[in-house]
Amino acid sequence: MNYDSPELREQLAAEYVLGTMPVLVRRRFERLLATDPGLRQVVEGWTARLGPIDRTAVAQEPPARVWRAVERRLALTPALAAARPGWFGSLTFWRGAALAATALAAVAILYVAVRVPPAPTSVVAILSDDQGNPGWIALGARGDGIAVAPIGKIAVDAAHAFELWAIAEGPPRPLGLLASEPGHQLMVQASLVPPDGVLAVSVEPAGGSPTGLPTGPVRYKGNILPREP
Amino acid sequence: MIESPLLLQELLRKTAGGDAAAFALLYKHTASKLFGVAIRIAGRGEIAEDALQECFVAVWQRAGDYDPMRGAAMSWLIAILRNCTIDRLRRQRTRPEGHAAPEDALSRLAAPDSADQGAELRALRACLDELEESPRRAVLLAYLYGLTREELAAHLAVPVGTVKSWIRRSLDRLRRCLDS
Repeated sequence: MNYDSPELREQLAAEYVLGTMPVLVRRRFERLLATDPGLRQVVEGWTARLGPIDRTAVAQEPPARVWRAVERRLALTPALAAARPGWFGSLTFWRGAALAATALAAVAILYVAVRVPPAPTSVVAILSDDQGNPGWIALGARGDGIAVAPIGKIAVDAAHAFELWAIAEGPPRPLGLLASEPGHQLMVQASLVPPDGVLAVSVEPAGGSPTGLPTGPVRYKGNILPREP
Repeated sequence: MIESPLLLQELLRKTAGGDAAAFALLYKHTASKLFGVAIRIAGRGEIAEDALQECFVAVWQRAGDYDPMRGAAMSWLIAILRNCTIDRLRRQRTRPEGHAAPEDALSRLAAPDSADQGAELRALRACLDELEESPRRAVLLAYLYGLTREELAAHLAVPVGTVKSWIRRSLDRLRRCLDS
């Protein structure tokens, strides 16, 4: 076949993306793709044209065994647990730990039965904005402290501050002002963080809420996760 | 989980650097959407599960190939997922019986008040509407449910040759319509 014909290339790419190519033709086409960047672009064109249809699919939570199988096949678990000594206070560690812990917590939230690999810290809560983007992470440190640190960059202007609240029964309880610079964290006594409650971050005037209750909008919040034994 | 394009892009970048935690987070943010797509194509859970697993193994190995200039991270992920699902499906001898009523998704796609009113989807729908009914159904059934030419021919009660030429002409018309 003459694979140089633009018309044929379009046609093959379209049927490849549509999925109607017979298996052997499909394999042959993929071998071509591996060596022909131009053809890959034609395929990408079709992916973009037909892709919007996939938005009509209804999201569905896959069973936990899928992720476990991926982890097993790629031998990922050691990488997740590989935090080095001297980690406390290290910026890279906190970024890494936050992300790792977020991931671990995510798995724990989604799949109750998952076995969490050993880690130097345990996740107490992930605080996300209303788009679901994680902003802060609360980690149980050694002893009975809980460290609350930003994930990535979070900014607030000089006239305001982020204040952390514990919410369970009754009015929210102030836990302190958060430092939003990466690498900094607020240490909170574990006894002040109620199990089954919620941690929330509101925007307050610099220096904190004047009333002892949140006065500004709640920007981030997250459920407090069950403690590990 | 709501997908944030920049977050996914960042997670893919870190995944390419071997960051297992970022990879796990990427899974958390995208797996349910991808699983929904796979279930629809495969028509049954076990194939969709295998496909999702294959997909993420491939993502871990090929994350470095992703180029943000050439499309959204989610589109890249869906493309890999679709390929994994179709490969799995083709390896299977038997088809699930009466895979979910095709008409449902077809009508959801066609409904003017469909929840997703993205501009791209609207444009695609308008161009699909310009096709004749049977060729349009052939294209959609293939893309949505992974039907082969033979299965389409059986489903639409026409010869395989007819399905082939419908698809060929429909895709050509779609391209002209969408690119104009």
